Amino acid sequence: MGGPGSEDRLTVPSATLLGQSVLSGVFIGALYGLLGLGLSLSWGMLRQVNLTHFALAFLGGYLTFQLAAVAKVDPFVSLAITVPAFFALGMALHWFFMRFKVTLLNTLLVTFGLTSIIEAGIQWYWTADFQRMETSYAHVRWKVGPLYLSLPDVITLGLSVSLCVGMWAVLRYTDLGKAIRATTEDAPVAAAFGVNEKMLGYLVSGLAGAFAAVAGVCLALDHTLAPVQIYAWMGVVFAAVMMGGLGRPLGPLLAGIVIGVSEALTMAVTAPTWAPLVSFSLLIAIILFRPSRF
Amino acid sequence: MKVALGILAAALIALPYVGLPAFYESFSYLLLSAIVLATSWNILSGYSGYFSFGHGAFFGVGVYTTAGLAGKLDWPFLWTLPLAALNAAVLGVALGAVVFRVRALRGELFALLTLAITFVLATIALNTVDGGPGIQFMVDTPKLTPTASGFLYLLMLATAALTLWTAYAMYHSRFGTGLLAIHDDEDVAEVMGVPTYRFKLAAFAVSCALAGLAGGIHAVFVSYVTVAETFSIALAVNVVLMAALGGTRHWLGPAVGAVAITVLLYAFTSGQAAVLGRAMTGLILIIVIVAMPEGILGQILKRFRKNEVVRKPPVESARPAMKAKSGTILEVRGASKAFKGVQALAGVDLEVRGGEILGLVGPNGSGKSTLINVVSGHYAADGGSIRFEGVELTGMPAHRIARAGIARTYQIPRPFPQLTVLQNIALPPMFGQVVMDRAAAEREAWRWLEFTGLEAKAHRLPADLNLHERKFLELARALASRPKLIFLDEVLSGLTPTEMDGALRLIRQIREQGATIVFVEHVMRAVMELTDRVVVLTYGKAIAAGLPRDVMRNPQVVDAYLGTAHA
Amino acid sequence: MLEVRNFSVSYGAAPAISGVNLAVAAGMLAVVVGPNGAGKSTLINAIGGLHRPDGGALSIYGKSLMGTPAHRYCDYGIALVPEGRRLFTGLTVLENLELGSYRRDARGKRAETLDQVCSLFPVLKERLAAVAGTLSGGQQQMVAIGRALMARPKLLLLDEPSLGLAPVIVVELFRAIRRINAAGVAVLLVEQNVAAALELAHRAYVLEEGRIVAQGRPATLLSQPHIRKAYLGH
Repeated sequence: MGGPGSEDRLTVPSATLLGQSVLSGVFIGALYGLLGLGLSLSWGMLRQVNLTHFALAFLGGYLTFQLAAVAKVDPFVSLAITVPAFFALGMALHWFFMRFKVTLLNTLLVTFGLTSIIEAGIQWYWTADFQRMETSYAHVRWKVGPLYLSLPDVITLGLSVSLCVGMWAVLRYTDLGKAIRATTEDAPVAAAFGVNEKMLGYLVSGLAGAFAAVAGVCLALDHTLAPVQIYAWMGVVFAAVMMGGLGRPLGPLLAGIVIGVSEALTMAVTAPTWAPLVSFSLLIAIILFRPSRF
Repeated sequence: MKVALGILAAALIALPYVGLPAFYESFSYLLLSAIVLATSWNILSGYSGYFSFGHGAFFGVGVYTTAGLAGKLDWPFLWTLPLAALNAAVLGVALGAVVFRVRALRGELFALLTLAITFVLATIALNTVDGGPGIQFMVDTPKLTPTASGFLYLLMLATAALTLWTAYAMYHSRFGTGLLAIHDDEDVAEVMGVPTYRFKLAAFAVSCALAGLAGGIHAVFVSYVTVAETFSIALAVNVVLMAALGGTRHWLGPAVGAVAITVLLYAFTSGQAAVLGRAMTGLILIIVIVAMPEGILGQILKRFRKNEVVRKPPVESARPAMKAKSGTILEVRGASKAFKGVQALAGVDLEVRGGEILGLVGPNGSGKSTLINVVSGHYAADGGSIRFEGVELTGMPAHRIARAGIARTYQIPRPFPQLTVLQNIALPPMFGQVVMDRAAAEREAWRWLEFTGLEAKAHRLPADLNLHERKFLELARALASRPKLIFLDEVLSGLTPTEMDGALRLIRQIREQGATIVFVEHVMRAVMELTDRVVVLTYGKAIAAGLPRDVMRNPQVVDAYLGTAHA
Repeated sequence: MLEVRNFSVSYGAAPAISGVNLAVAAGMLAVVVGPNGAGKSTLINAIGGLHRPDGGALSIYGKSLMGTPAHRYCDYGIALVPEGRRLFTGLTVLENLELGSYRRDARGKRAETLDQVCSLFPVLKERLAAVAGTLSGGQQQMVAIGRALMARPKLLLLDEPSLGLAPVIVVELFRAIRRINAAGVAVLLVEQNVAAALELAHRAYVLEEGRIVAQGRPATLLSQPHIRKAYLGH
């Protein structure tokens, strides 16, 4: 990293560097989108601001890491364990919110509390040190023209796109998806036509949990894990979800990519430390000028 | 009470001279700092309900103002403190000026916006003032205490006293009542005369200034300032947690929570225990939100409120009755209002004469409630003119319309749920035509409590009232500001015949006191008995006006109600 | 077919309707009229599953509905057209209609029912892909009725379908309602537009301040002073 210093040096990067930046921005943006998928669904459809989504994603990442390090389980095989487990956890959380009639603002506070607890648990078991999962996947790289692609990046992009598009298709084309959208708009009237709001709520919250598990694997594949990192992703993923639209599966993915690319380009052109300004300024602008989106 | 406070104050001031180990001195400082931050946060967020997750940002502005000026430019640090507070306040006002104008911005959006601001400021600070490695500086503190941290403790003690006093004074003033009303129902508060925009902005400025001040002191306390530590999310959330734990609706609540949380966090200081401490904090937060939504102090006070005896303040000499001018006082010409394709008002023409009871009737969906909403400023008219005593009302903010002497009830009662019956009724006099202070307003409210027969429920919450009583609460609240013109929106619906007779009697008494009344109603016998004139609205237009008997026999009106037969 | 006995429903803390007795035979078109605040919407919402009743008996074809969860009401053959339409405004017209046939028995016959609805309201055929919120009031009302018909109900409940609509559209709507009834669907209609409602009905109930104050054949009722008094005060 170039030393920041108090003067900004605006360098004109080469085309290759620009291209690589855009590419890395797309990949990181895909991960923002994947993390944002569960958050967007529970916020838009269940009216819960679920911060534990991030803690669960990291927990999933740590579990994947543990299984790979200790039992030599392939990260994608471990999904067979984490996905159902986290589906259940998602449903349990939804039950908790329903049982105690937690309002929207309070879900933010309660899930922050849960995040603290999960984070503390992670730190207690795996310590605060950075952990990095070693797999054979990390070493696979391809060269496309002057640009490099790594396998974990491509896998993340693939998973993210397929899950987001898949969810979009379900919401758009299936009866179940239409029922979910109708319930979000007007639950009592939807019920009058046979839509069981309670059951759908559990389904959506379970799915959000499952998505967190998948995001966890992607995190573990390509990023270092540390408990404090849980909070680092919150800000930018929230920005992606708010920009992409609450309750929408595809919006946060696209917004995430926009944010990722603009961050990467900012980093290439000026100092890396300016990067957060981009995403958050975009977010602030959207909140101020289009609050009706929410 | 005063003696106890005096002893406490003396003990606190004496602390630095007692020779405590450094840990306890630091701990006391941090405790006071937590009290300042939690209480200052509560001034905006607890009172008005606009939960800010950006308190860390304003704290950070204070930190970096002092760090920059004292650390890098060698200013004497005491001079930097007022600037730290000022910078934070200016930033808050600038942000609030934009944000509070946006009507759709509520709840969780404001929270996330303020969180985003924290990140933005952190980035800017990192790249400009700080430069990356943080700022390290040494300052000379005045030699008033044995240790430097002792002096900082005293500074923070003074700040805490200032903060608590500010919170206390606001809580008991009409400013505080206005903020609490905004918390419960901002739109209704605005219609009752509370200048919501100005109040929110002022509360935000005060809150930020105090946080900035605390930040400036803190810069010196830590003497090595980094962006990561200063602008952390932890501070933002801890502040919310402390206030929520103690109780956000009371001025002392956040302090209670601050003490509890700080003690808890520092009870676990060693490595493994710190992790446990964070988990405990999280668990406590969850339990508090779920089981004690009003916080520790709030829960305790609730228990006391149940036993509160109704105390009647001394009765004032009778105030002059509301005088009604003769002639036309309200003139509506061509008023129009559309909602998403539905034309609710399609050019309404009507006039209201001083001292009369005017009935406003019409089939469902004809625009009666919309007309009231538009005249009282709840909605802005799309077109047309509305003149009250010669003054044009269209375009005026709702709280100024209330000041001009117009009041209204809501068809479905909308009392402020967390204010007592007395406080509900006392609000309009504080913000109405004649601005009264809290004590005078409560005396005025008592008059209307007695008028509507609600004295026994003065200190209860609206949820404890039945529908009939809630309708009378609406009525009393509308009357309390002694309006010149009052709109009653379906005051009688849902009442039993006996209750209805009581209500009609009350309304006649109101007119005898000189008010002009516009009476929207579906109960026809009431309209016939009570009104001097009647105006009929259909499809957003006034189709007839005149004496009740005549209007209701008008063939157009009969047609509007019963409909002509179609093939 | 539909039997309502000693029915009471409260709205918040206050009782909105009490002691209501009402019956709709198969294939009948019954109407509930009354001034505003009388409780008509509360009554029909409680029958349609949108609002929980307090007490009394509610049964259709002898099967009691009291205590049934809201999302099972449509399984009994009831479909509701709520006051103010309450379409799923963010969804398209087609999606709204499809949701009407969400319940399993109706889903299988979806294509056939859709055809019937489109022939009843031809203007909808062109606007199937339009987002429901962009339609005019009258068209939205057609979609709302169509959505209810997609559930293939035996009893159609309508809450003030004429509200906020121009008279000429109301005529069209009521014509459609008559055709629906003629096809064998029983109808319970709540209306403020008394004359139009009484024209259609086989049987009418007058609801005032939460109680039924008169009932019978429309011709008989019109000759009595109840209705004039209730609406016009004389």
